[in-house]
Formats: sequence, structure tokens, C-alpha cells
Amino acid sequence: MRRTQRNIFLGLIAATSLILTGCSGASSAAPATDSTPVAGGDLKIARSADAISMDSTSASFENYSIEVYQNIGESLFTVTDDGKSVKPWLASSYKVSTDQLTYTIALRPGVKFSNGQPVTAKDVKFSIDQDTKTADTGWGFINVAIDKVTVVDDATVAITLKYPWAPILADLSLFSNAIIPENYGGKTATEFFDAPVGTGPFMWGEWKKGQYLKLVKNPGYWQKGKPLLDSVTYSVVPEANTRKLQLQGGQIDIDNTPDWSSFASLKASAGVKVFAFPSTQIDYVAFNQQRAPFSDVHVRRAIAYAIDRQALVKAVLFGNGSPANSLIPPGTPFYDKDAPGPSFDLKKAKAELAQSTKPDGFSTSLLIRSGDANQASVAQIMQAELKEIGITMEIKQLDPTAAKKATLTSEFDMNLSAWTMDIPDPDEWTSFATDPDGGNHSAFTYYNNPAVVALNKKGQQETDPIKREAIYKDLQKITGDDAFFAYLYYSPYAFATTDKVHGYHVSPLLTFHLENVYKTK
Amino acid sequence: MFHRLSFIPGRLLRALPVILGVTIVVFLMVHLLPGDPAIAILGDKGTPQRIAALREQLGLNQPLWLQYATFLGRLLQGNFGTSLVNNRPVAELVFQAVPVTLTLLLFALILSLLISIPLAAIAATRPNGGRDLGVRAFTLLGQGMPQFWVGIMLILLVSVELRLFPVGGYGMTDAEHLYYLFLPALTLAISMAPTIIRSLRASTIASLGSDYVATARSKGSAGSALFRQHVLRNAAIPTISVIGVNLGYLVGGSIVIERVFAIPGLGSLMLTGIFARDFPTIQAVALVVALFVIIIGILTDVLYTLLDPRVNFSKEARA
Repeated sequence: MRRTQRNIFLGLIAATSLILTGCSGASSAAPATDSTPVAGGDLKIARSADAISMDSTSASFENYSIEVYQNIGESLFTVTDDGKSVKPWLASSYKVSTDQLTYTIALRPGVKFSNGQPVTAKDVKFSIDQDTKTADTGWGFINVAIDKVTVVDDATVAITLKYPWAPILADLSLFSNAIIPENYGGKTATEFFDAPVGTGPFMWGEWKKGQYLKLVKNPGYWQKGKPLLDSVTYSVVPEANTRKLQLQGGQIDIDNTPDWSSFASLKASAGVKVFAFPSTQIDYVAFNQQRAPFSDVHVRRAIAYAIDRQALVKAVLFGNGSPANSLIPPGTPFYDKDAPGPSFDLKKAKAELAQSTKPDGFSTSLLIRSGDANQASVAQIMQAELKEIGITMEIKQLDPTAAKKATLTSEFDMNLSAWTMDIPDPDEWTSFATDPDGGNHSAFTYYNNPAVVALNKKGQQETDPIKREAIYKDLQKITGDDAFFAYLYYSPYAFATTDKVHGYHVSPLLTFHLENVYKTK
Repeated sequence: MFHRLSFIPGRLLRALPVILGVTIVVFLMVHLLPGDPAIAILGDKGTPQRIAALREQLGLNQPLWLQYATFLGRLLQGNFGTSLVNNRPVAELVFQAVPVTLTLLLFALILSLLISIPLAAIAATRPNGGRDLGVRAFTLLGQGMPQFWVGIMLILLVSVELRLFPVGGYGMTDAEHLYYLFLPALTLAISMAPTIIRSLRASTIASLGSDYVATARSKGSAGSALFRQHVLRNAAIPTISVIGVNLGYLVGGSIVIERVFAIPGLGSLMLTGIFARDFPTIQAVALVVALFVIIIGILTDVLYTLLDPRVNFSKEARA
């Protein structure tokens, strides 16, 4: 299985380099897999919730919607399979000016929208501009560094930045910067997003809310010979156990979110394949520094040292994952595998607590989401571990929406939380987590270390990857020492498919590229 | 005979304050929950600015009484409002889910009758005999097993092992709907049948020992004709009200079953609505369910009246 994935990856690289060098034989370099690709069929994917809206400019454009939309709308750049960088997608090449302020981007020739209209520079300008406008209400904040987009000619755009900005290509790869027809092809935004049009491998089909959402093949897709599937149907199956049984019964092709607890039994089931794709997810405990005693670094460190991360990986992820050592997750560029984040050491934990403002321990609480079995297990293990060093921890369980409210208003002592990246650049996360001016009070912890804030700003504006690496290495070290979070573990994305599904690969940024997927009989 | 049904308009009129009460209680309950749709949608990545913007867009900044008045005003015009989550008319979502749940309940009712009537008849013909004990053991088991567990066991056995029926979902065509709904309906039927069997068994035993059955026997009636025309018809009357009450409970049970079997009915709509704090959807579903229970109550009394000439709910009779 692992070899298959690597082969797909190599195949994709081969295909991409062929395209980039202008060779039109890209389709002949189809990914090598364990069987011959077959055209046709409907890929049935079961998910725990339905999409909300395809409106990529609205605030309610969330993960379940994005997962569908990325099959329809494509961006100038796309994330590489390893999630660490981007490659030209609807762009064919780009040049950067010497002052690092202007990116001149050539569009891939011959790409058409699924309505038959060719993609021009005007469409690109419109798409990026309408995203930028939603800075306060949608995903437009990602375009913060863009000053303006100019149409150079039909097949070239120039993007001018306000200041040098390292993450720009990563930003352009985001789903909200997908290229759509200028002026929504003459429709209103609402009409357009009811049945969106893009350049992607699939087109809008039909949506019965709460039941299923169907996409159909785009016959004019620019990658010749793709997509292989006729259609993709997303169904809503909230109960993990039902999804598992549907997969075992052959009623669906893919279970999008199997529980870790059933991962092993799925793996052992005949006709089922399981995948643990590398992710950018980090699970952590956030300390609210507005509340005593968490303003005391020794208290935070004591807790961070008291947690046995290996035990959590074993109990919660059933061994599928690794202990976390850094703020930046491994699927993200500049992750430092040697970052000295606190790891389990009971002696150090006791020593830190002894020199803190609460040497004899104290009582506190941990906020978790009800119905989340993983969080409940983590909380129970932590409760026992903190007791060892004299801290009494109450588990405060709220339903998911109530817990979100408590998070956003920093109404917690400690909060069990997680993050996943949207772009292949650490900046999105480091700014959210450490910049107190970002509007989120440093991931709602009120952490404020001027040295870290300065490093983070420097990292945004430094475009030399080697220098950036050094900056983020420092940032990872200091944030670890400050223990403003207790990092817990990095978990991969779990997926389960029938053995008839081939070419399925999910990048650490949850991009799917279903054009490469096919089903055998 | 129809003058005995004159109680219906009055009953409907008296349902109005009940429905108004339901809307108020549900409205207050959902607004007492911490968190609102803006927070539910944006999640932990939402900045205060984005949440404020979305809240404004969704009209959540208005005072509670105004939100309720707007809701009630719209309702009086027959408008359920718009879902805060996916911006669709709630009526569209509800009317898409109502037939699903109704089919499921009706299917479950039919299956439970198909199970109950023969079993009750078998048990009643020789009380305390071997077959009666067998039936009583079944009713104990059926009542003792939790619905969701029965559902999962049926899925494991019938769907995964034998591959006879789908694990969950609703299908796309009418025939598929029935095929997909069979297992969930059976699950509900298994939990409902014991109550019907017990009531029907008791009344059948009473009926078999009655004078009118003895009379019928003496006139030469026997076998299934006797059972259908004289025993069952009389024994069914108390059972009708048992079924009526149980159907009301069954609506609640169907929420769990719809989730286990991934059926896009009212229960699923209600649950997703609650998790997303989609106030208009929650209120609409609660209202429809309340209406449903009220209508079932009235229908039960109508059936009762039609089956038993001695029953009269109308005013003149009570005066």
C-alpha cells in the first residue's frame, strides 16, 4: 500500500514535469498503481456531516463544503502531495521581481471552465479580488499581503504585494482563491454558488440537503484522460459505526472519518483498505493566561512535563500517531523534529511545580467536547497524571457548539483543542497561535511574548527558505520553553476504502485530487 | 353515526394553545443553550470579527422577543423561515423529511401489526400453554432490548453477514426507499410489538370468554371467521388506544433509529439542527412533531368511535 502511494506520487511528479516542460503527453504518464486504471463508476463517499454552502466567499464555507468545492474550483497553484510546497496548477509558470513585490504569473494555455468558456486573466483578477474583499467575513484574510492584481494580457496576471510576503504562493493555492468566471458568468453570487462553475475535474450535479450531494464528470477537463470516474456522491452518515458497517457491506466506497477505535478491525476486514495519511493536525492543551495560576510559566511547564504523550498515542490513537514536540506539525514546512518541546518527565514536572506560585498544587478544569471519545480518553488520562503532581483537574464537558463559544470567549482554565493547516506554510498557524494582535488573543490563551511576535513577523517577510527555517527553528524553541500550550500528539488522517478504490491519496492539507481515483469491478 | 365525530373541530381548536406553548418552550430552550449558529459554523478558527459579521448577517443581534415575534409572525403566514446554516427555506427541509419519517413510522406500524396479531392470537387461544409462554418470552425480550442495540444487531446479521438489506441510508427511488427502510422499520416494530401483543392477548382472552362469543359459537360460527368477526373486532378496541399512545413515543424512538440507520428524516434534521443551533429548523421540526402527536391522538379517537358504537366523545353525549 505504501509503495502504491509512492508510485502515485512519483507518477504525479512525472506528469507534472511533463506538463511543465510543455509536453502534451501528460496523460500517458498515468500514475502506476496495482491495477490498470478503469474508467467509469460512481465513487460513494460517506461523511459524518453534510456540506453547508458552496459559497467560497462566505463565512460558512467550512471543511465539509470545501472538500466538495475543491473538485469543482481549482486555483493557480496546488499543494504538492507531501503538503510541504505548492506547484503551478492553473498557472504554468511565474516570475518574481527582484524587490520580491511583483509575481508575474502565466496561465496554463487551453484551460476551459466546465461551461466551455476559456480561462483568461480577467477571470483570475475577478476571482482573487472577490476573495480579498471578504477579509472580515470569509477567507479573504489569507490575501492580506496582496496590494492589487493586474491583467497584463489575456494569459498573464501580475500580483503586486504590499510588502515581501513569503507565503504568497501558498495563499494563492487556497480553495477560496479558486478561479471562477468573471462576474460569476453574468449571474448573481447567490445564483452562481447554487451551482458553481470552475475548471475542476467534476461539475456540479445535484444536492438533496441532508441526504446526498452528487458531482458529475467534467468531460472537458484540461488533464486529458481524466477524471476516470463518472461521478462522485457524498452521503451523510453521522454514526461512525454505521459508516464502518456500510463499508464492510460494500454499500459505500470510502468512509471519510473512521474512528481510531475501529481502525484496526477495519484493517483486518476482508475487502477493506485503511489509510493513515500524514496530516497537519496537532492536538494540544491551551492554558488561559488570563486566569491564575496559568500566567506562571512554571505551572504551565509542570503540566506539560506531567503528560505521558506516548500513553496518549497508544490509548487514544491506538498507536497511529506520534508524540508532539513542536507547535508546528510535521506535515508543515519548517517543522523541527528536534524542537525541545516539553516531554514526559515526572521529576521535572514536580521540580517546576515546586518553584511555581502553587508549590502545593491547585484545582483546575479542562474543557472538552461531549460525544468526542478521543477527548474523553485524553481528559481521563490527564486527570490521573496531574493528580500525581498534586493538581486536581475537573473535566468540564460541553456540547461542541457550547465548547466553541467557551473557547472563543476564553472561558476556560485549560482547553483541549486541535488545529489543522489550510495552506502549506507555517505562518497561518504561528500567527493565529502566537500573535496577540491577530484578533484571537493567541489562540484564545492571551499568550504574549514580544520575542516570538517579532520572530513571527520576520518569518512572514523573509523569502529566503534557509533563513526562514532558522527563524522558525527559534520560534519553535521559545514557544516550547514558554509552554503556552502543552503539545500532545500529531495524528494522521484516517480513511477507509474498499479494495476496489485505487489512486486515493489525501495530502496533509486535505486536498483530494479525485481526478486520479478509479474503481475496479 | 357522523354526529359522533363532531368532537373533531373542538379538539383541533384546543390544540392551538398547546402548539403555541410548544413554540415558546422550544424557542426558549434552544436559546438557553450556550453558543449560536455563527459560532457553530465558524468553529475554533473564527475570529471575533468574522463571528460578529456572520451574526449580523444571520440576524442574531436582535433581542430575543423580537426574534420570537418575527418567527411567530412568519409562522402565521405559513412561513417557517430560512435555515441559518444553509440558507434554504426551512419548509423545504421539513417537507423533504416528513414523508421519510411518515413512511418509516407507517412501515413500522404495519410490521408490528403483522408480528403482533398472529402472536397474540396464538398466545390467547391457550393461555399459559407452551406457545403462550414462548410469546410472552418474546414480549419480555422485545421490551428489554434497547432499540439502538437491536438496530445494530440487525445490521450486523442481515446486512453485513447475509447482505440482504442495506446497512443504512434511504436510496433514491420509491422502491429503494422501502427496501432501505425495511430494517429500521423492523427495529421499531420489534420494540413496539410487545406492548400491542400484551394488550391484544389480554383483550382476546377476555373476548374469547365472553357471552357474545359463546352466542356466536352456538350459532355455528367457528375458526378464523369467528376470530375475525367477533373476537378480534372487539379485542382490537382497547389496543387501538395503546397503539395511538405508542405511535407518539415512536416518533421519539425514530430519532435514535434514524441516526443509527442514517435516514434523512425529521429526527436527523432535528439532531443536526440542534448541533448547529439552527433555531428555525429546530422550531419547525418540534412544531411538526407536536402536530403529528396531536393528530394521532384525534385519529385514535376517531377510529375508536367508528369501531365501537358505544363510544361518543361529542358534547351532547357528555352533557
